[in-house]
Amino acid sequence: MSFLTFAWDWLKSPQQWQGSDGIPIRILQHLYYSGLSLLIAALIAVPIGLLIGHYRRGGFVAVNVANIWRAIPTLGLLILVVVLLGLGVLAWLIPLVVLAIPPILVNTYEGVVGVDPELKDAARGMGMTGWQLLWKVEVPVAIPLIMLGLRTAAIFVVATATIAAEIGVGGLGRYIIDGLASNDYGEVAGGAAVIVVLALLIQALFTGLRRFVVPRGLRLQARSSR
Amino acid sequence: MQWSWIPQNWSIIWPYTLDNLLLGLVPPLIGLVISVPVGIACVAKRWLYPPVLSVASALYALPSLALFVVLIDYTGLGNLTVIIPLTLFSLCVLLPNVVDGLRSVQEPVRQAATAMGFGQLRRLVQVELPLAMPVVIAGLRIAVVSSISLASLGQLIGVSSLGYFFIDGLQRDFPTEIYVGLALTLLLALLCDVILVAARTVLTPWARGRRIAPSALTPGLPPAMGPA
Amino acid sequence: MITFEAVTKRYPDGTVAVDSLDLDIPDGKVMVLVGPSGCGKTTTLRMINRLVEPTAGRVLIDGRNVADSDPSKLRRGIGYVIQQTGLFPHRTVEDNIATVPLLIGWKKASARARARELMDLVGLDPATMAGRYPYQLSGGQQQRVGVARALAADPPVLLMDEPFSAVDPIVRAALQDELIRLQAELHKTVVLVTHDVEEAIKVGDLVAVFRPGGHLAQVDTPERLLGAPADDYVRDFVGFDRGIRRLSFFPAAGLDLATDTVISAVTTFADAITAGRRAGEPWLLVAGADGRPLGWAAVADLAAGSPAAALADAELAPVGHTFRPDTDSLRAALDATILSRTERAVGVDASGRAIGTTSYERLRDAIRAAEDAADAGAGLVRQTAGEAR
Repeated sequence: MSFLTFAWDWLKSPQQWQGSDGIPIRILQHLYYSGLSLLIAALIAVPIGLLIGHYRRGGFVAVNVANIWRAIPTLGLLILVVVLLGLGVLAWLIPLVVLAIPPILVNTYEGVVGVDPELKDAARGMGMTGWQLLWKVEVPVAIPLIMLGLRTAAIFVVATATIAAEIGVGGLGRYIIDGLASNDYGEVAGGAAVIVVLALLIQALFTGLRRFVVPRGLRLQARSSR
Repeated sequence: MQWSWIPQNWSIIWPYTLDNLLLGLVPPLIGLVISVPVGIACVAKRWLYPPVLSVASALYALPSLALFVVLIDYTGLGNLTVIIPLTLFSLCVLLPNVVDGLRSVQEPVRQAATAMGFGQLRRLVQVELPLAMPVVIAGLRIAVVSSISLASLGQLIGVSSLGYFFIDGLQRDFPTEIYVGLALTLLLALLCDVILVAARTVLTPWARGRRIAPSALTPGLPPAMGPA
Repeated sequence: MITFEAVTKRYPDGTVAVDSLDLDIPDGKVMVLVGPSGCGKTTTLRMINRLVEPTAGRVLIDGRNVADSDPSKLRRGIGYVIQQTGLFPHRTVEDNIATVPLLIGWKKASARARARELMDLVGLDPATMAGRYPYQLSGGQQQRVGVARALAADPPVLLMDEPFSAVDPIVRAALQDELIRLQAELHKTVVLVTHDVEEAIKVGDLVAVFRPGGHLAQVDTPERLLGAPADDYVRDFVGFDRGIRRLSFFPAAGLDLATDTVISAVTTFADAITAGRRAGEPWLLVAGADGRPLGWAAVADLAAGSPAAALADAELAPVGHTFRPDTDSLRAALDATILSRTERAVGVDASGRAIGTTSYERLRDAIRAAEDAADAGAGLVRQTAGEAR
């Protein structure tokens, strides 16, 4: 139980909540890194995923991208970029975006490809154009998987942003890296505690978001088949 | 990129590689050993699965570095501090695959087995688990590849792994080391993936030439079945 | 002997699948349970091997209550074939068939040898098929493996749940014929469930017709079911043209064939006309040197031709459909007669040689005689309107 005692003591102290190294600032930084990267990655990956799914091209690539993605050590990528490009926005933005793209891309692709062919057949038979098919049929049915991809990416990005502290940026990872360096377990524990809470909240956010975004019929269908 | 650095420093490259491999293989194996009985229970008692899955999803969402740190207090700065969280992650990946794999066994097959006089245990061992194997191995591939990659983070808390070369390379501003670390991690992952695919091909001759449906509903994981 | 004593199956939500069923299934016979969906026939079948447990009553095999045996052990002695086969995808055909023998303790080599034996029995070539996997087989082949698997440990009882419903009609007919052939060799106690009354009639020694709600409407031989349905429900269920379908159960051997209507092709027209007049028939069957039928000659037309010409040179009407009096039924004979343009049919022997001919009149007499015999056997008397016979 000492982890909790350490963390609690550190969190109780008011100075953690003020100033440029305070918890609020760090949280905001963390959300900024994560949010921006996720947004850019989504803007790139969702359209591409929809297109290769709709036209059923490049599926082979999409699936293998997922395999490779998981193998990339995030720490290595962050450090490589910073060593090559120096410290700056791109040092964290590029790796985070690159790491967020694959899960969104693959899940979007799988979501569109997984639409029941009979459903598409019926839609085409009703006279829908390719474009209408995409927006009225494929995207709504694919939304659960797209949301899953976004959630996976979000989790991954939040975790990677934590590690990014090693290359010198801000965010909640700072507490862990600095705490380890100065042997201050209180800081380390406190930082970890905040990160855990944040991660759980984001997970809950995306899970809750499903309720609003996923069409009701699909949600009920998924629940009954579990 | 200084190629000569590699042979010169092979004596330290090799041990770190092995350490990373160990940290990458042990967690999925332990995760497998735990997830099979838990998965069997979740299939037998349907109500068990949703809560277990929720807990697994929540665990999976936690940054591994944070988990390493939490454990320092209990297991110090040794391998166990890295192995335990990675085992939990592997479990999160493997459990849905075990459950989906068992559920993918078709009802007529199960019924025929019972009708021929298989007891429940025998049916599980001789029929259901073997048929679940392709899906489970798919999960194992994901778990192994992820663990090999995540193991490098252990270096941040001083646990020996290929992450050493990233951190050292950062401190010395020496890209070659970083390239080597990246390449070796990727190579290890590729090697293990290929071995698992070969194992699957050998162990499941009845499934050759047919694509197995990937487990698309694993918590936050995209399906990762490449072409067989 | 399998016995159902007042067996009832009631589900927790109140549905009664089987209601106080009493049924005896004799050894060595094929008993078909037939009825519409939801009539309890499958439930009844599955109570024999305890896949379903009765809520009341007892199921006995050879006097012993099945509930007293260990379920797994019980099932190893009962063969079970289902519609979707349930073959193990991960085992070869050979190993699938060898499943129960291995389960009861045979050595692997003997089990596999037995599997190959059975493959021969059900018409699958062991040399090419033994090492295949189920997914490589057609539907009909898979079902044969299913049957072989059920028979592997030589169980006295074979349960079949809609085994042939999932294949196309041609394959289905072939499989039904296989079953009849196998049964003639093996004499198992077979209980088969189907919704197809034609299948029941074709395959069954006894047919049990179920009513919705799990009641028995009639248990009888197929011929009696067609000839004397117990009530309107059975009558409707059995369907149209019962009378004609019933004829399949009367052997054509009962027919009195006219043999003097068959003449050789070398006969002259003049002799043919004489033979025709003597027989009192307008058509003569012309047979070749080997005895096989060549065609029909119209006696009336012969008079117009030259008396010395051989029949072989005459214009003959086509023979049409022949039938085998030794193996075919009256139904086949009737069908051949209807199809022939001459309103006559030719009975042939095993090598195709013509034996004699029949006509509507002769058929009518044979049908009447057969029906009278069958009805008398059942205690029924034919109603003849005002006719003293």
